[in-house]
Amino acid sequence: MEALRLQGIGKRYGRKPVLEGVSLSVRPGEVYALAGPNGSGKTTLIRLVTGLAFPTEGRAFLLGEDVHKSPGARRHLGAVVEAPAAFYPYLTGRENLRLHAYLSGVKEEARLTEVLARLKLLAVADQKVGRYSLGQRQRLGLAAAILHRPKVLVLDEPTSGLDPEGVELVHGLLQELAREGLAVLLSTHHLREVSGYAQKVGILGGGRLLDEVDLTGREVYRLEAEPLEGALALLRGLPQVASARIQGGALLFEGEPEAALQALLREGYRVRALFPQRFDLQAYYQERVKHA
Amino acid sequence: MLRLLVFELYKLFRLRSVGLGLLTASLLPFLWALAPGLKEVYGLVLASGWQVVSLSLMAGMEFLFPFLVVMAASESLGSEVAQGTLKSLLLHPLPRTRLILAKLLSALLYPFVLLGASFLGSLLAGLPHGLGGFYGGTGLRAGGFAGVGFLSAQEALGQLLSAHLLAGIVLLPLAALALLYATVFLSTAAGALAAMTTLLLMRLLVAFPALTPFLLTTYLDLHLRPSAAGLGLPLLLIYTLGFTFLAALVFERKDL
Repeated sequence: MEALRLQGIGKRYGRKPVLEGVSLSVRPGEVYALAGPNGSGKTTLIRLVTGLAFPTEGRAFLLGEDVHKSPGARRHLGAVVEAPAAFYPYLTGRENLRLHAYLSGVKEEARLTEVLARLKLLAVADQKVGRYSLGQRQRLGLAAAILHRPKVLVLDEPTSGLDPEGVELVHGLLQELAREGLAVLLSTHHLREVSGYAQKVGILGGGRLLDEVDLTGREVYRLEAEPLEGALALLRGLPQVASARIQGGALLFEGEPEAALQALLREGYRVRALFPQRFDLQAYYQERVKHA
Repeated sequence: MLRLLVFELYKLFRLRSVGLGLLTASLLPFLWALAPGLKEVYGLVLASGWQVVSLSLMAGMEFLFPFLVVMAASESLGSEVAQGTLKSLLLHPLPRTRLILAKLLSALLYPFVLLGASFLGSLLAGLPHGLGGFYGGTGLRAGGFAGVGFLSAQEALGQLLSAHLLAGIVLLPLAALALLYATVFLSTAAGALAAMTTLLLMRLLVAFPALTPFLLTTYLDLHLRPSAAGLGLPLLLIYTLGFTFLAALVFERKDL
């Protein structure tokens, strides 16, 4: 069963649609990154998934339970929906976490220390949150989100406001949590950072899910050949080539490299280089959003 | 639920409007005790410390206490929206109705704490005038401050306690109304302003005599007219429950 499933979810304010018919699912152990320009509907989608806002169409399920019909469904959910995460400034980090523990039904005091240590916050745990830096608050938000061992983690810009060490810590933690079987949905502008471990990327634009990129087992080949336009047309016509495009004076294609090479040589194209290249998510995203 | 209520109370008493309100309510009686124009405004020459207590109640209930209660109830939700903690609370498997009820119950307790602060401050401020029996009145019963003869300390205390209790009950629907508007607007200022505007508009409805007995504003001086409690108390309770029900209904489907 999918840990998180959205079924044609949408939101409109009056006549103005902010989000339309978005369907996606995240399985346990999977990291799903949401990308899109500002105003594309990422935050609205996060608010709908977490039950903070109500959809005008469609439904959101957490482990099969409708999040808007049953508040109990949120027992599976850990989330940070603001950057930096919001806490009571007059309480210490530990006291804030204790409140979250109470609301989530966590009774072990040791768990508080465990998550504080995991987010490298033990040194400031007994300081008032009002004195925390933005990065520390952001990490405390993540600590609160994973405190009750949720099955689904939803994060809005989790690395916003963090220094490079903090960014690395968060990405490392998310990978660990995914390996432990947690389903992670996060919104981000930093696609290069998440492309190393996300399995899927949803590209939002104008309130719609424009594309869903599966990053698992995705091999892209870079081909330098002449004439380029002709080679592109040839590759696009081959059944063994799934996709092909020009980028930076070369061809990037997905498919069988041997079949592509044979076809090019057979047709008399000059092939200067052919080698595998890591899928450039950022470039793909920019192109996808530009042509949306 | 009890723990949630205790936490809501803790948060309520950390609000700026509540701190300021309690400070004002406990210090204002000292100002009244020293005010040179009491005779001109209230026809009163202080004969007893008990009169300072009733004077503080009457003056406070004219505008200050309702305003402070409305501000506190509105801020109890508005401040959470402003600092973002409301979203964090609602990410937990906590029914929204339970949260708003905990907020409301703590807001309903506040008028009594506020009036208690005023009562204690007034007792202290009235000490120099004595807290024994005296010839005169508390201003809350027949004869006003002039009274109808000798008033024992016990009688004066009884009158003042019952007046404070009634005043506290009068303030309950105001707190519920402010919380209702705070759930609608998700803002302290807008919630408080809407509640005060509603009260002012309701006051204008005295021009419709048929409506007057059923208006909330008709009973805002119930502490001065305990004889009207028969109809007034059930109505105030109905208003409080009605506003509470609406606040829970609005909050249940409110986008955050």
